[in-house]
Amino acid sequence: MFCKRLLALMSLALGLAFMVLGGVALAEYPEKDINGIIQWGAGGATDVISRAITPLAEPYLGKKIILVNKPGATGAIATTYVYNQPADGYTLLFGAENPSMYKVLGLSEIDYGDFEPIIIIGAVPNVTVVKADSKYKSFKEFIEDAKANPGKVKIAFTGVGGAPHVVSSIMKVVSGVEFNAVEFPGEGPGLTALLGGHVDAMPSGIAPAAEFLRAKMLRGLMVFDKKRLMAFPDIPAITEIYPEYEKYVPYYPWYGVFVKKGTPKEIVDKLTQAFKKAFDDPKYQEFLAKRDTIPLGLTGKEAREFVDRQRSLASWLMWEAGAAKRSPEEFKIPKP
Amino acid sequence: MENLQYFLLPFLDLKLLSLTIVGTFAGMWVGAIPGLSVTMAASLLISFTFAWDLNSALALICGVYMGGVYGGSITAILINVPGAPAAIATVFDGYPLAQRGEAGRAIGLATTVSLLGGLIGIAFLAFGAPILSKFALKFSPRDYFLLGVMGILLITSMGHGSTIKGIIAGTVGVLLSMVGLDPSTGELRYTFGTVYLMQGISFIPAMIGLFGVSEALFQVRGGTLPPIKQMVDKVIPDFKSIVKHIPLVIRSSLIGVWIGALPGTGGDVAALIAYDNAKRTVKNPSRPFGQGAYEGVIAPESANNAAIGGAFIPMLTLGIPGDAVTAIIIGALFIHGLKPGPLLMIETPQVFWIIVSCLIISAITMVILVLSTLKVFLKVVEIPKNMLMPMIVMLSVVGTYAIQNSLTDVYCMLAFGILGYFMRLYGYAVGPMVLGLILGPVIETNFRRSMQMAENNPLAFIGDIFSHPISFVLSLAIIYMIVSQVGIFKSLSKKGGGSFNGKGNG
Repeated sequence: MFCKRLLALMSLALGLAFMVLGGVALAEYPEKDINGIIQWGAGGATDVISRAITPLAEPYLGKKIILVNKPGATGAIATTYVYNQPADGYTLLFGAENPSMYKVLGLSEIDYGDFEPIIIIGAVPNVTVVKADSKYKSFKEFIEDAKANPGKVKIAFTGVGGAPHVVSSIMKVVSGVEFNAVEFPGEGPGLTALLGGHVDAMPSGIAPAAEFLRAKMLRGLMVFDKKRLMAFPDIPAITEIYPEYEKYVPYYPWYGVFVKKGTPKEIVDKLTQAFKKAFDDPKYQEFLAKRDTIPLGLTGKEAREFVDRQRSLASWLMWEAGAAKRSPEEFKIPKP
Repeated sequence: MENLQYFLLPFLDLKLLSLTIVGTFAGMWVGAIPGLSVTMAASLLISFTFAWDLNSALALICGVYMGGVYGGSITAILINVPGAPAAIATVFDGYPLAQRGEAGRAIGLATTVSLLGGLIGIAFLAFGAPILSKFALKFSPRDYFLLGVMGILLITSMGHGSTIKGIIAGTVGVLLSMVGLDPSTGELRYTFGTVYLMQGISFIPAMIGLFGVSEALFQVRGGTLPPIKQMVDKVIPDFKSIVKHIPLVIRSSLIGVWIGALPGTGGDVAALIAYDNAKRTVKNPSRPFGQGAYEGVIAPESANNAAIGGAFIPMLTLGIPGDAVTAIIIGALFIHGLKPGPLLMIETPQVFWIIVSCLIISAITMVILVLSTLKVFLKVVEIPKNMLMPMIVMLSVVGTYAIQNSLTDVYCMLAFGILGYFMRLYGYAVGPMVLGLILGPVIETNFRRSMQMAENNPLAFIGDIFSHPISFVLSLAIIYMIVSQVGIFKSLSKKGGGSFNGKGNG
């Protein structure tokens, strides 16, 4: 009895596996379910944003999008995987900004230059936060203290190439400060350490920090942008405090959907339309607003320009800050 | 009063009640199949329940969570394959019990103490959440490092072979855990230039290979032994034997709640530490540990289910996930338009109370489901070996592929299966290697983090340990654990009337 059930379950699992492996398709696209590969693990920002948009895009495609997480190596595993699939529109890449820096950081030779953007969904502004009872009352005080005590002020960051790393590298280049940077496996764990008083500050995405700011457990020192945030109007923009940052802002993590370069144009168009409609759905807009995500909704040429500019910005910046292994010039990445 | 209303809602609403029951049942299956994890099921459910109202989605997810953590122990006991990481510690004594024909008794016990542990965890969630979450925040990277060290000391008390061989296996496990991207500098370590090793060796495929496939290979080697006849009477533990073990259940559950509430550690570490604690503190186990002691099943099973309530504590009070599953539930709350964070309990208290009562329903469902169908489960062990073993291998392959749809993982799993076979052949226990793989990264990253915080000055690091009460207490516990293992002290304490025993609450 159990044995039979077990067999039934196993054949089901095998069937699913074959569905995922899939074949090549002809005729009207899509004639079978589509695979969506998510660059980051379950529960992370990329995962949640992707899982919220697909149910809204499916009705316009008439088929299901089966989402699978393939995390690891700052997203390079998923990116390489999708790159190795046929360019037939049946494997989508749901990714974040990280591949912008793959080449200069020596993580992978494959980046978004090898993909066609379907839609750039949105971006999350970066806010430097401290604990509510911190001695730093303003960003200026924070920078002055870091200057006076080089390598003593502890900040949390999420590893090489993550947004907190990029933002603190910009501070290093522009303000000439040296931090004691402590690595955490994500913005959530970094903020947890900040709340426990184990680090002094963190340049974090607004989404994971927003609720702590609302509850007055954390205080925002600056927004890494030219203008203030609508939801937190009392946190100053960095350019108000230090105009010399103008050239580097805004820098933020962003999320988008991609297919491999070489996918037929009518398939790209069909996907673009479906995801654009899903993006415009009031339900999705409300979801983005709740997560303090800036809606971008870029498609086509605009999306391409956005992706390329972000790559130039991040690659050159990491090179100037001494964090890159290889020069962007080697890969002919233009200066921003 | 309003809270009571929310609390009672799932009990009275037929739809929520049945969704929780369905979730528990599904969770048990997912948990029992190696590789299919609760984390994966929960994240699938997010898309699946997108259009539902929040309460129904929560009922289903809570059911899957509770059932899934428990389900892993069924396969751990029956076929030596922990269905989920939280069930690893259950293998040590659960499988030997099945080998003695006592699988029914083991599952019956595991189920009952899972219920008790689960309820204790939920009680702490319902009544102590705000205080416990403040305490959890106080844990610094240094304390996680010490906790990891405490866990790795288990190697010396685990397995029934030579200690040296255990330490060798554990060390290799730790070394293997270092393959991949360096967590803080992004350097590549031992990857030999391939992108597939960049993600590191994930421990779930390793676990499935080392426990499951190697056991299957080993059994095949033994020729055609007759299957073990299982005793089917007395599968439901009698009241007296439960009462006898209540102190151990409570102690293990407390460990479970505590470890579960710490962000970054979950049921797997909780169960391992509870097992270790039981091994040190239970004076007269029913049998020596590792050979089928009931206590060796009771401790990890109460701890891993208690860890569920614990994991919800930082999630519901602060919006900080206590483990991987609660991280996904946070995402689900976002999608349903809520704002999980410190204000969640103030602005939307119904979420808190509905989760609490769904967890209770799920824990009770679990017991009824398992105890009523137990005799069917037992037939698995009575399947002739020449059929059962290939099935275990197949299940392992499918399960491993399902983790992240990676064939590399499958090869990795098979390689560990073969490695495990030879380890068994030469008397090396496989448990320590899995332990090394799990705890290696915990110890490494937190040690580097705390060294970085001490500006890479070892003296400052040691100073930090003495000046922080939590670190100090953990260090004392570690010293006690080491000292109590050393031969001289063991014999001293025997002569001195057991003065060293009895106070090791770790």
